[in-house]
Order: sequence, then C-alpha cells, then structure tokens
Amino acid sequence: MPIRTSDPKKKIDYQKALRDFAQSMVHLRRPERLLKMITRFLERDLALVHMSLLVHDDLRDRFIFANSRGSRKVPVGLVRIDLDNPLIAWFRDRKGAEKGRDFLRLASVRKELTSRKSDAVLMRLKKTMEHLNAELAIPGYYKRTLEALLLFGRKKNGRPFTASQINFFQVLAQDCSMAIKTAEYHENLVRRNQELNRKVAEVEELRRKERATFYEVMRSLAQEIYAKDPSTFGHISQVEKLGLMTAREMGLALDEHRRDILSASLILHDVGKIGVPDHILQKPGGLDEGEWQIMKEHVEKGAGILAHLSDFREAAGIVRAHHENFNGTGYPRGLKGVEIPIEARIVSVVDAFHAIISTRVYRPSQSVAFAFEELKRCSGTQFDPEVVEAFIRGLKKELRKAGDRFSMVDFMGKPSHTGAL
Amino acid sequence: MKTLLIVDDEFEICDFLKTFFEEREYQVRTATSGQAALREIAESRPNVVLLDIQMPVMDGMAVLKKIKQDFPGVKVIMVTAVETREKIEEAIRLGADNYITKPLSLEYLEKDVQEKISHLTSPA
Repeated sequence: MPIRTSDPKKKIDYQKALRDFAQSMVHLRRPERLLKMITRFLERDLALVHMSLLVHDDLRDRFIFANSRGSRKVPVGLVRIDLDNPLIAWFRDRKGAEKGRDFLRLASVRKELTSRKSDAVLMRLKKTMEHLNAELAIPGYYKRTLEALLLFGRKKNGRPFTASQINFFQVLAQDCSMAIKTAEYHENLVRRNQELNRKVAEVEELRRKERATFYEVMRSLAQEIYAKDPSTFGHISQVEKLGLMTAREMGLALDEHRRDILSASLILHDVGKIGVPDHILQKPGGLDEGEWQIMKEHVEKGAGILAHLSDFREAAGIVRAHHENFNGTGYPRGLKGVEIPIEARIVSVVDAFHAIISTRVYRPSQSVAFAFEELKRCSGTQFDPEVVEAFIRGLKKELRKAGDRFSMVDFMGKPSHTGAL
Repeated sequence: MKTLLIVDDEFEICDFLKTFFEEREYQVRTATSGQAALREIAESRPNVVLLDIQMPVMDGMAVLKKIKQDFPGVKVIMVTAVETREKIEEAIRLGADNYITKPLSLEYLEKDVQEKISHLTSPA
C-alpha cells in the first residue's frame, strides 16, 4: 500500500522500492553508487535538510561518512565518530538485540533530558545528534555488529517521521549493512588473492635466482673438472649448446625445469671424474682392465654427487645413464632403448661427437664429417638412431646458417684451458 | 564576541563548519585560499584560525608561518588530512597551537576552539 510522504502529490510505494533495493544491493560488489542513490533518494523524496550514511571504518575502527546530502550535509571526509561516542555506543551496546526495531529520535533524547538533567551520557548524545543535524538515527547491523548508521535531518516541513517510514528505514539500514559487508568480503578476497599471487611470484623469483646462481657455480665447477682432462677441446657450455639444439631438433617439449635439468646433465655428465685419479684420467694410450673399471665408476660417482642437490636430483639419473648403449651393451646397468632416459641418450651422442672432434691423447683430431660418419655407424647399437639423426640434421643447419666462413672452432669455442689457438 | 576564521579550499567544509560554529555563537568568516586567509586576518583579527594544509598556490604551512610572524596573538589550529610526523613536527615548530587530523571529532574540535578562546579571554 502506498504511503503518503510530506508532499501529498508524491507517493512512494515503499514495498516496491524496498524490494528493488534489497534485490540489487545484496549482489553488488561495489555498493558505493547504490548507497549514494539511497541517500539521495531519501533526502529528496522526504524533503530532508540532511541525510547521511555512516559506515564502520575497519582499518581504524571508527565510523566515517560514506555519503551525505542536503543543505545541512556533513562533508564526506571531515568528520569521524569514535566508538566511545554515545551515539555509536548507544547502538553498539545493544548489539542488535532488538534487531530491526532500533532507532533513536533526537526529540526522545531531549524529552528524556528534561527528567534526567544531569545525565552526562544523554547530554553528549544530544550534543552529537545536534552536531550532525540528526533528528533520527537508524542502525544497520550485520551479524549483531553495528556496521552502518543512517542519519536523518529534519523534514523541511517540520513534520515528524511516521512509524512506517521508520520501519522502512530500518530495513534499508539492514540492507546497507549487508551490501557493505558483501562488498568488503569480496574486496578482501580479491586483495588476499592478489597478495598470495604476489608472494608466490616472489618466492618463484627467489627460487629462480637461487637456481641461476647455483647453476653458475656448477658450470664453473664443471669447467674446472673438464679442464683437468688435457684432451678436451672447447668450453663445456658448447656441449650444453649442442645438447639443447638436439632436443629442439627432436621436437621435445621441455618445460623450463626439464630444460634446466637437461642443461645440468649436459654440463655435469662427467662431474664424477672428480673422483678418478689424475694418473688414470691423464694417461696417454689405453687403460688396462683395472683402470678402465675405475674410469667407469665416474657415472655412479657423478650421479651420487647430483643426488644430494635438490634442484638437480633428476639430473642424477641422466648422468648415471649417459654411458648406456641403445642396444643394452653399455654401463653401469645395461639399460636398453627407451629404458634409457631420452636426456641420457642425447648426452651420449653429444659427448661422443665432442670426443671425436676433440684432440684426444689417444686419437688425432677428426673432422666433423668423420664424426658424423662415426655417429651413423654406431646408430642403433651405441646410439638412439632418432637422436643421431636429429643431431646431424640440427648441426648441419647451424653450419649452413653460419655460411662458409664458419668453422667448427667458431662453433665449439676456443679451448679455454690452453689460451688462444 | 568569539571570532573564528575557517580556511579550507573545499567550499563545503567551510560552509559546514561556518554553520556549525555560528550555531554555537561564534562570529565566523571563511577563506578558500591562503592569500584570502591572510587578507581576512589582517582585516578582522580573528581569535582562532582553523587552517587546512593542502591548498593550491599558498599552502597552510606558508600561511601559518606568516600568521605567527605578523599576528602572533592569533591562535592557529591546523585541520588537515595530512598526518605525517614530519608535517606535525614542522607545524608545531612554526607555532601551531594544535594539530587536528581529518576526519575529526566535532566534539573535540568544539572543545579545543573553546579552550583557545577562553585562554585568550581569561583575566589570568
């Protein structure tokens, strides 16, 4: 049923307005505009000198103005109401005990003061309402906590608020609190999620930096070991380059982590040689059976070293298997075909190629073409044919790309341990 | 008559505080810039000035300095949203009689202004 407002020509269907507000508000993530609409609507339609919405400021635990309208409005941002203020205390202490029934009229406070003249709390209550030009205050609770306060200035025609108007305001105040809480909850969720994402990114970045540093240390360590072997040629990172090229050429889909593992395996595949005595490592000519057994141990030793490093633990299995042969005749376990990790099959080919073109103590330097022939000859027995094919194809592409002036020395880099060629 | 000058570049704030203090029997003038504030002070010598800090052209700190130089008897209460330690210390050093941050408690503001006036008018 429409209720007459102060202006007899204007009618507000409170029931309908209420339904519309409640429905749209609760789902709103950003209710500011709607809260403003409500204050504007009430101030205009009821012809008030002032209409304000006070909300709880979670950050500072006080009440501030979210919006204020009318000729006697309170500028937003100027005034705060602390929790010990009697107006706030009045409603907070009730904790919504009479939920939906609570309101306070300045007229009632004044009337009460005539009989209790010296009541300090009532005096302050009156003063606060006068300060804020509030004839009527309506609380909005959310789960028994005071979240919002609607302040109504006097009507321009001087008439009092009717019971049904007050009733309407009470429901609106509840809806305001609900909308504010919903929005806050959503905002907190978004903010927390952002914080979490930022922290995860930070941790990832730290991990990445840590790994990069570790990787650099490993690289120089590997180069040290590599340089101890006088027959090696070029820089260890060239082995890495060739291995990654092969993986690319094979079309292996490696994520960043697996690529790092492959890099580490390529660089560190001979790290176990740190445990092989120099006289065996640097012996010109062939090794006897006993020496050969010790030499073979470098794969297990290398795997043992890597197994202790959390970031490269997965590289241990690859290093252990890099002397396995495709037909099962390799060491240490005699693994066969796909039993050998693909990364180990790549390391095996790249390592062999590198050995052939390097100036080894037991063999003169060989040309790239000869190395290719050797790889093809052992394809299917020692090496995975697919890896050999991809390696040769990839390297040929690289050589073509570089043109005639390109030599293998350019590609492999200059030997770091003997100075310039 | 208790006299008060309100200085804030926000017209609405001047307006609200003017009405507020007029209802509490103050004679109130307002200024929305630092230059206008200094003209008003020279002309009407208010008991108390409520002074905002963040204003274009001439900010509240410059106005405060000038008031304390030229009219040392005028009480100045800074009323500002700026609440950094440096600003507060600077204002006190320049002679501000109080520093109230926005949003403020009207109850406290009224009491403080009253206090500044009673101090001025008390025979002591």
